[in-house]
Amino acid sequence: MSTARVTAGPQSSIGLRSIAGRIGFLPALLLLLVAAMSATDPQFYGIINILNILRNASLLAIVACGQALVIVAGGFDLSVGAVVALASVVTAKTMATTATAFPGNTALIIASGVAAGLGCGMVVGLVNGFCVAKLKVSGFVVTLGTMSATAGVGLMITNGIPVYGMPDIFVKGFGRAQAFGLPTAVHVALIVILVMVFAQRRTLFGRYVYAIGGNVDAAVVSGVSIQRHIVGTYVVSSVLAALAGILLTAQVGSGQASFGGDRMMLQSIAAAVIGGVSLRGGVGRVEIVAISALFLTILGNALNLLHVDSRLQPVFLGVIMVAAVALDELSRRRKARV
Amino acid sequence: MSDLELSVMAKDTDRAKPLSGRWVWNAVLPAALVALLLGFAAFDHGVLSPANLLNIAQQTSYLALFAMAQTVVILTRGFDLALGPTVSMVSVGTALAMAGATATGHDTSVVLFAGLGAGFGLGIACGLFNGVVIALLGVNPFVATLGSYNIAIGIATTLSSGRPVQGVPKLFSQIFYGGSVFGVPAAIVITVVIGIALHLILSCTVFGRSLYIIGTNPRAAAVAGLPVKRILVATYVLCSGLAALGAIMMTARTGSGEPNLGGALSLQAIAGAVVGGTSLAGGRGGVGTAVLGALFITILSNGMNLTRIDGYVQMVVLGAIVIVGVLLDRLRLERGQ
Repeated sequence: MSTARVTAGPQSSIGLRSIAGRIGFLPALLLLLVAAMSATDPQFYGIINILNILRNASLLAIVACGQALVIVAGGFDLSVGAVVALASVVTAKTMATTATAFPGNTALIIASGVAAGLGCGMVVGLVNGFCVAKLKVSGFVVTLGTMSATAGVGLMITNGIPVYGMPDIFVKGFGRAQAFGLPTAVHVALIVILVMVFAQRRTLFGRYVYAIGGNVDAAVVSGVSIQRHIVGTYVVSSVLAALAGILLTAQVGSGQASFGGDRMMLQSIAAAVIGGVSLRGGVGRVEIVAISALFLTILGNALNLLHVDSRLQPVFLGVIMVAAVALDELSRRRKARV
Repeated sequence: MSDLELSVMAKDTDRAKPLSGRWVWNAVLPAALVALLLGFAAFDHGVLSPANLLNIAQQTSYLALFAMAQTVVILTRGFDLALGPTVSMVSVGTALAMAGATATGHDTSVVLFAGLGAGFGLGIACGLFNGVVIALLGVNPFVATLGSYNIAIGIATTLSSGRPVQGVPKLFSQIFYGGSVFGVPAAIVITVVIGIALHLILSCTVFGRSLYIIGTNPRAAAVAGLPVKRILVATYVLCSGLAALGAIMMTARTGSGEPNLGGALSLQAIAGAVVGGTSLAGGRGGVGTAVLGALFITILSNGMNLTRIDGYVQMVVLGAIVIVGVLLDRLRLERGQ
């Protein structure tokens, strides 16, 4: 498991085959799924359904991008689902409190709520990063602990009851609004993906994250500050999860401790892994992870439209996940043999 | 598992440590257990009553069984995230088989065997799937068992239509829950017997020792001529088999097949194993660490319940304990060296 492969990032060679090899079979699978669904069910390409898919895929993609970054650096973030819930609750609660203190001051209310939501994401990320980088506790265990703690705090604040009292404009003018025919969440997700792609390819932070995940010892020897960058990955992951929580809150119109949860956490890892992020670290690109988030969302939507029993649906997700990674592993072995 | 964690934790060979340092650090967790019990007893005298102690022992026996199952795979640097859903699936399968056998008018002994056969069959099938995907296809244990996690949940809820399965014969509950040997409840007896057997397997058989070698250094194990793949498959089967046994015991306790019996068990079992001192880097741990960890978590939640600490606060405390437990363990290793 400790064999490090330094295949960090894109090479400069351009050619159809190399592009196909790099992107993999996922987009093909996605197109196939979309084509098959469009042929079988006209509801699928109805505008309502498409917007629905895009909205859900955006939220998943935002969380999965952060998760991917952590995994590329060689870690895990099990706490993202709980952070979504906590950020949602804290944002709603802060807005409600500020609204009673400064009624009518909408800008202040919204700003304080969003800041509080992102802030608590940042705190969880810092705790995760600190425990992993400074105290050297395994990332799996740390985020397992913070997952339980974060979910507990979210429930403590609300007692499990949805929090209302957010300004109307935050819900109607932001969460449920559409610009250029697309929901707000899609725009936010596109921005996040673009920034992350840029960070991965063009910034020192992104390059160092690849280096750390690819070969820690080599990164240390090259003078990369390991601890700072690992803390950075966990903070980015938690803040993005918090962002998804805020978007979800704005869309639903209430803060709920039941948002996110294990399902979001598992799906974000699934999206990252199906999107070609190696759990050994050092390999993976966020734009493909975003495509894979879209793929997972469309798959769930397709199973619903085909009236597949919702209880049976996890079976499909599980089989596809294992198959995708097994195929990837087998093709790598074949390559290694040649 | 990341390279960073491995490089940090790969120094875990604790065989060659000075005895004194090891002894002190090994006593930390048992001492913490006693302190915890006494601390809770100061708030509520009921904590140390014989009835509650028996209750703690009985509750621990389930979690200890699952922590042991988890420990077996963690020793080889693996995981079983699917443990919880496996428990749910086995519970539903056992109950359905017994209800079906009863409905077709079979003898009670046939009904019991049908239930046990279905339960262990499902458990072993799940273990085989995990083992084959991980060992033969080379898929990361996290992804493989995350996949079977979803599959097992799907099967459990589909088979049961999401509702508890009734029709578990009384005798089944009487044997696996109500029964007792010399006044000791069945759950404790089963866990103790399994614990001793597993300890002997881990410490005295070639199979058991090779788990430690694979966890410490997989390449060395392969070079030494161990059939690593076959052993890994057997490990996952053993893990799921133990989970199936625990599921059968829990089904006997509730008296029905529950599709969400497993719930958070996967992570609880991992937490139990890890808090007890099982290293996620592989090769270190055993029955003792699993039982200690399970005991710690059970006493903690039992004490918090008796002292009426809010359930949500308990989640926070449990999360913090997991991290602190692992941190202590790491310090123990460093000091010991």
